[in-house]
Formats: sequence, C-alpha cells, structure tokens
Amino acid sequence: MAGKIIYRGESEMPFSPVSSGDMTWNRTGTWRYIRPKYEDKTPPCNAACPAGLDIPMFIGLVDEGRYAKAWNVIREENPFPGVCGRVCFHPCESHCNRAEYDEAIAINALERFVADQAPPLEPGSPTQERREERIAVVGSGPSGLSCAYHLARMGYGVTVFEALPRPGGILRMGIPSYRLPKDVLDKEIADIQAYGVEIKTNARLGGDLSFKDMEEYDAIFLATGAHVSRKLNMPGEDLEGVGSGLDLLRDINLGKAVRIGKRVAVIGGGNTAMDAARAVLRLGGTPLVLYRRSRDEMPAFDEEVSEALEEGIEIRYLVGPTKVIGNNGRVAQLECIEMELGAEDETGRRRPVPIPHSNFSIEVDSVVVAVGEEPDLTFLPEDIRIQAGMVSTDKGARTSRKDVFAGGDMAHVDRTVAHAIGFGKHAAISIDCLIQGRNVKGVLPGIQVGEGGTLSMAKYLSEVARRRSQHVVTFDELNLDYFGHAERNERPKSPAPERVGDFREVSAGLPEQDASREAARCFSCGVCNGCENCYVFCPDLSVITDGGMVKYRINYDYCKGCGICIAECPRNALSVEKEAK
Amino acid sequence: MKKVVSGNKAVAYGVMLSRVEVISAYPITPQTTIVEELSRFCAEGEMEAKFIKVESEHSAMASIIASSVTGSRSFTATSSHGLALMHEMLHWAAGARLPIVLVNVNRALGPGWNIWTDQTDSLSQRDTGWIQLYCEDNQEVLDTIIQAFRIAETVNLPVMVVLDAFFLSHTSEVVEIPDQEEVDRFLPRFEPQYPLNPEEPRAYYGMVPPDYYMEFRYKMQKAMEETAGVARRVDEEFSGQFGRTHGLVEPYRCEDADAVMVTSGTVTSTSRVVIERLREDGINVGLLKVKMFRPFPMKEIKGVLKGIEKVGVIDRNISFGHGGIFAQEIRSTFCNEDERPTVFGFVMGLGGRDVTPEAIEEAISYTLENPRPKEEVIWIGLKR
Repeated sequence: MAGKIIYRGESEMPFSPVSSGDMTWNRTGTWRYIRPKYEDKTPPCNAACPAGLDIPMFIGLVDEGRYAKAWNVIREENPFPGVCGRVCFHPCESHCNRAEYDEAIAINALERFVADQAPPLEPGSPTQERREERIAVVGSGPSGLSCAYHLARMGYGVTVFEALPRPGGILRMGIPSYRLPKDVLDKEIADIQAYGVEIKTNARLGGDLSFKDMEEYDAIFLATGAHVSRKLNMPGEDLEGVGSGLDLLRDINLGKAVRIGKRVAVIGGGNTAMDAARAVLRLGGTPLVLYRRSRDEMPAFDEEVSEALEEGIEIRYLVGPTKVIGNNGRVAQLECIEMELGAEDETGRRRPVPIPHSNFSIEVDSVVVAVGEEPDLTFLPEDIRIQAGMVSTDKGARTSRKDVFAGGDMAHVDRTVAHAIGFGKHAAISIDCLIQGRNVKGVLPGIQVGEGGTLSMAKYLSEVARRRSQHVVTFDELNLDYFGHAERNERPKSPAPERVGDFREVSAGLPEQDASREAARCFSCGVCNGCENCYVFCPDLSVITDGGMVKYRINYDYCKGCGICIAECPRNALSVEKEAK
Repeated sequence: MKKVVSGNKAVAYGVMLSRVEVISAYPITPQTTIVEELSRFCAEGEMEAKFIKVESEHSAMASIIASSVTGSRSFTATSSHGLALMHEMLHWAAGARLPIVLVNVNRALGPGWNIWTDQTDSLSQRDTGWIQLYCEDNQEVLDTIIQAFRIAETVNLPVMVVLDAFFLSHTSEVVEIPDQEEVDRFLPRFEPQYPLNPEEPRAYYGMVPPDYYMEFRYKMQKAMEETAGVARRVDEEFSGQFGRTHGLVEPYRCEDADAVMVTSGTVTSTSRVVIERLREDGINVGLLKVKMFRPFPMKEIKGVLKGIEKVGVIDRNISFGHGGIFAQEIRSTFCNEDERPTVFGFVMGLGGRDVTPEAIEEAISYTLENPRPKEEVIWIGLKR
C-alpha cells in the first residue's frame, strides 16, 4: 500500500490527474454511518410451503441448468418432488410476489420438471454415518415416509410398518394414477429406501403387530392417516351399491374389478369426491356430483374442480341427499333435497339449510359417499391422549407418551400431502432432539421459515442456512426496475375428450425450454442469486466477489455506506444497519 | 485504391483504416452518414469495433472517454448543436488527456434552424483544450483522420477534425484509399500510459486541489506547444510514406504579394482559383490556408506573412462583439512584432451562404484599395 504522495513540482507529476499509487491508504470506510450487509430473507413461497421447500434456491439452479443439484435442494426438505410436483395444492404460487406483477411462477410445474430430470438413486449410495438408535414409523403415507427419510438421513435406523401390501398410504390408495402415476411414486419410495429405510408391508398395528412390539425402538412415529370414511347416517346407506369414495379409489388403485353401473351419484365437494367422480368417468360411468353448498365453499382444490368440469362432469350445487331407495336390496334411487345457504358455521363457510318440500329423486346405479374421512385410533393404547377425534400432540409433535410422536392426517386438520410431509419432518426433528437431549421447543424458533409454522431441515442441520432472516419479503420491497414482464409457462395437458378414456396422466411435464424460461421469471425474493447488481453499482469497488459459497462480501475498509447496493438489489437480499460509533 | 467518395465516407474510411476500437455517436445532419457508414462497417464485420448507441452527444463523448481510458482507440463524430451538447465532456476529454479523435462537420447553430456550413460551432470550442484541424478536401479529410490519431496519441490531447457541411460532407471526389498494411505501419497500436486496469488500481480524475491544479493546466499548455512540432513531423512522415502532405498552413503565391488572403476549409479552394486568375492579370495577391487552428501555428504564420503589408482574413464564423475569429488570431499573432501587417477582417458565407469567386474578389479589392479597414468587421455579401 502506497502512502500519501507529495509532489514538489510539475516535473514529478503525471500528465493527467490520475494517482501515481493506489488509494488504498485512504480508508473511506471511516466515513460510513450506515452499514449495508448481505442478509438473505425469507421468500413468501418458502414461508407458504408446508413442506418448507427452498423454492428460489431450486429454481435458481433450474435457471442455471443444474437439475441434479436442484433435485437435491428439494430433497433437503422433501423426498417427494415428483409426487408434490403433481398433486400439491401449491400455496407457494398463491403467495408468489410475481402474481402482483404479472403471473405467479409455475413453481409446481418446475418442481415436477426437476423430479423428471432426477437421476436414479442407487441403494446405499448415501454415505451418512449410521447411529445406533432405531426408530419405528407406523404408516407409509407421505408423513410417515417423510419422517423416516429425514431420520435415515440423520443416520438413524428406521423401520416403517405398513398395514397394506404396498407402501405409499394415501398417495398410492387415494390418488388416481391420472394425477399421480404409480411409477413416479415407486421411484421416490425406492429413493427413500436407498437411504436404508426398511419398509415392512402387511404389518398392521393392532393386528399382527401390537403396540408392545414397538417398545424396543427408541422412538415411535405414528402416521396412520385418516381413512375411515364418514357416513351420512341416512336411510338406505347400507344397501348394495352404496360405498365410500376412498374405498372406490383404493379398489381401483389396487387393480380390483369395480362394478358401479352407469349412473353414479357422487356425494361431496372435496378432493376425494372429485377424484371419485373422475375415476367413475374413466370407468365408463356417468358421474353426477351432488354438493350441498355452492362452488365457493367447495373444499376441493380449484384445479381439480376445473379439470372435472373440463371433462364434462356435472356438479349440482345446493343439493343434499336424504335417503337411498333400494330395489331388491340394491340401490335404485337417491332422494335429495334442495338447500340454501344460511349463517356461517364454525369453519367460516355458510351452512346449508334444507328448503322444505323441495325433495326430489334421481335414478342411480350406485352412490359414492365422499364427505370426509376420520382417523382410525382404535389401536392406540389408552394413555395416548385423543382430542377431537385426533391424536393430541404438543409443539414438538409428541403425544402424551414421551417417546411416541404423531403427525399427518391422524393428528391434524390440515390434510394435504405437503402438510403431511412437513409434519413428518417436524417429527423427525423432534425425535432427533429427544435422542440428542436437546430441547425441541428451544430449537424450533430458529429453524422456522416465516411465521406460519413451516420448518427448514436445512436450517436445522446447518448454521449457514439459519442466517437467512425470517422476514418475509413483500412485493413492495422489490426493485422492479430490473424485471421485464414475461408470460407464465404452463405445463401441457391432454385435451379433455382424450383423457377420459383411461387413467393415463393428464398433465405432461414442462419442456426444458419452457422450464428454463419459467425459472428465469423468478424474482428470487430475498435470496441473493448472484445477479451482480451490487457488484456493478458499488461506486467504491467495495463489493467483493471471490466465487466462493458466499456470493458477495463487503469490504468495510472502503465502503462509504452510500446504500446504492441496497437500492439496486432487485430482491431485497441486502439490509442496512446503523453504524456503531 | 482510388474511390469516388463523399467527405463523410472519407471520414468513415479513415476511421476504419485507423483500426478504431470503440465508436459512440448520435446522429445529426450533416454528420449522419458518417455514423451510418461506421455502424454498417461494425455490423458487417468490416471493422472490429464496438459501436455504442447513446441517447445524446454528451453520452457519446462520455462513453468514449471511458473507452479511451482503457486504452481503446476511440472515435465520435458530430455537428453543431451536438458539439455544443458535448461541451462539458470536451473539457473532460482534454483534461483527462485522452487521445480521442472527433470529427465535426461544421454547421450553423440555431435559431434560426440551419443545417448548412458555418464554423462557429467548432470555433466556440476553442478553449476546451482540443487540437483543431480544418480540412479543404476529401483526401485531406481521410489523411487527417489517420494523422490525428498519431498526433493525439503522441501528445495525449484529443483532436477535432473539421470539415464543411455539404461542400465536403456530401460532395464526392476522387480519394486515394491507402492500404491497411500501410496505415498499420504508420499508426501502431495505442499503448496508454495509465490504462484503466483493475490489476493496477489507480484513482482517475479525482479532485485536484489548488496545490496542483495549475500544474496540470501548465502541462496541457506545454503539450499544446509541442503539438505544432509533432504535427509537422507526423505530416512529414506521412508524406514520406503516402506521398501526400497537408502541412499546418499552406501558402500559395505569397511571394512579393501586396496582400495575402487567409482562409480555412473549402473557401481555400475557391480562393486559390480567384488568386490564380488575379495573378494572371498582374495583381500581386497570395493565399494562406490555415489548417491548424489549435494550437495556433504562430511560428508558421509569421514565417509566411512576415513582410506582407496587408492581410485579409476570410471568416465563415463570427464572435459577436468582436468579429471573425481567425482574424482575431492573426491580429494577436503579430501584436508584439515591430513589423506587422494591417489586418482586414471579412465575415462571409455564414449559415451556408455561397462564398463565390466574386465575393472573394470583392474582399481582395477592398484589401488592396484601402490603406486600412474602414470598420473592424467587414461584411461581404450582406443584403442591406
């Protein structure tokens, strides 16, 4: 470093006003009274994802064409990118800041794209150090397998007990293959097994297996789901030809022959009702969906309802069934009554009220009831506390027994695949804390993503990931000067008339070019993606990039605190603090 | 190779042959065809140069100031209001001592709007620290561009090459286009003394306090004082290699002259014809073409005009409140000499009005007939 140079006269001076040495002696950082700092924040999509996916991170990798790395980033939080990339209700997209600019990023389609690019995983390929402790997981649905996966990745020996002959739970039994092809599920379960997870099928707790048999394990995670269909308690419900939606879907998924006839009434407005109606259509029947409220109150995901309507399925709103009328022990007619909407009930939806004397009957060959499911809790020992028909758990996913945890549909009202995966991860963290002697309630606040209860496994396992602030970046906090408008890239779907003939998948994956274009649309809210704006704009060359893991650093010896880096960051990945004097 | 080209095309060829690396320009009549030709050269790969499109002449000059700091040979062209808009950056380029070459096609300033030739635009930039060279024909334009880079890169001062609107810019003549290899031999790669280079960090053009500012200005003046000698040597070397010389000034039949007319730009060619005819008629009159305006070649001018009794200066420009600008310069050249000519200042041809042989003859007659000028500014061809 040169010192200050004093010229005695013009003969010593350069011909133009450039410095003869460098100016590093002049530590302009002392002029600073505000201090910019790199601080990644929480993107709204990530905070909204019940499974806690680091969405801008994986989309950024798609943009760079690094698909295998993107796949690993998803699987840091969620072992089911192929499943979720098809069936998730993607709350991430409804929280996407880009929706306020033009259209939300097609995150769900990109997740599937990444899964479609994933390499096959060889058994035993992960080289995680094994631990002695063994964990039992009961139920091989999304929650159980998510928990098993995360525990196995942390080195635990995990055995999953599944009552049915094939693993997957609701993913295999409840979701028709036109939404989730079985080979996609098989591959992702195989990927989980590759981490050393052992899955025992035909092992029903409460059947051949007793709760006592589980006690040799260091911890138990219960995730048996909610698969007991609610009844309508109306006359004639026991007649032949009346069945539950979930049973119908399970029989179809198991490849059993189903006899439903031509005219099939499907009662309910949830996802099971939609799936059942669309399955009936594919079996050659003519479904008629009867829902007691209006479209606005339907609990089914919007996309499912739209696809059902595209396929020509008739949905009659404000109609409730009152009686099944039989003929020789078999269903022949369904008597219904028209409804109108009254005051709001405890769920915030307007309650349907029957209109007196509006009864009418329709001719049917069978009736499918899909009005909700309840967990079967009959196998549980008495000391496991139950509340409101579900297993009661504390903030650490723990039941009333110290080493027994529970999650998924049997313990929660948020019954989506993404929630189930999140609950499984939550339990895995709690079980690890139990075994490591850590206080889970002290750990959880530091590993949350935003304030909605989403947890990050990356944050749990890495101190670097915990540096990301929990502040959720809003649209107003972005610098939009650097973004151009660009149309959202939708995944192609086969036309309705072509898809109703069989159970082949309705949606295709995004072509690579579209995926690349879509990934480039992501604002990467709050997450530095190395766009170089700060580096380019810093008037003091005080933004340093050295190609390491951390993309940029600030040289505080020279940073004057002008704040241009903060103003020009398109995504609010820099923060400012007052300089300590 | 000989080609029939306009003055503006001659500029473009000169720039291409000089292997300019960065061009930034904003179009303005009558300069536009220079920029069109150069952008075509860049687009079609005939030139390996970066063409930077900008929103104003101020930005054009700012861009090439930056590119020149990195050591890239840089060029722009403009006219009239465009040059006026560059004014701040002209000071910058000179103060930073950057060897930029700019072509200015002389055009009158508005209002009233006028796109025709007039030297007031370039002469208004007299004190910015730029070397100024005025051209008489298209061959001289091409040759001067090539020489300008040599001069600029030797003395570290920017050069403005000036040509008349339409009379040169849009008029085609035969021009000898030299071979690239020849030009490369004459004009080697530019190696800046203080290249902008992150490996060797420097502070460029920061604040200079009163302790040092004067010294930098002194160095600029010294560089200007050296420039006449440098330009002469460059022209001699050019002449040796290409067989053409243009000089800093060019006398024509000044021997034994009772009066010498001083001209610049295309007026020179017309004047030469007039003087040739008058000489045939036995009238002893000569001509001095002044090519270099900054630095003002006082030594060369004194050498030619010493002993001449009367000098008439034709100015296609005006400094309001004083008169023709070349006339001022000629007067000041001699003011400390014991023996000095009487200077007649003629203003004519403003805003593109033709300077006809008759108008020149009128100025010559006035000079010869009057012992001294009746007024400081003598307007020729003015409609009263």
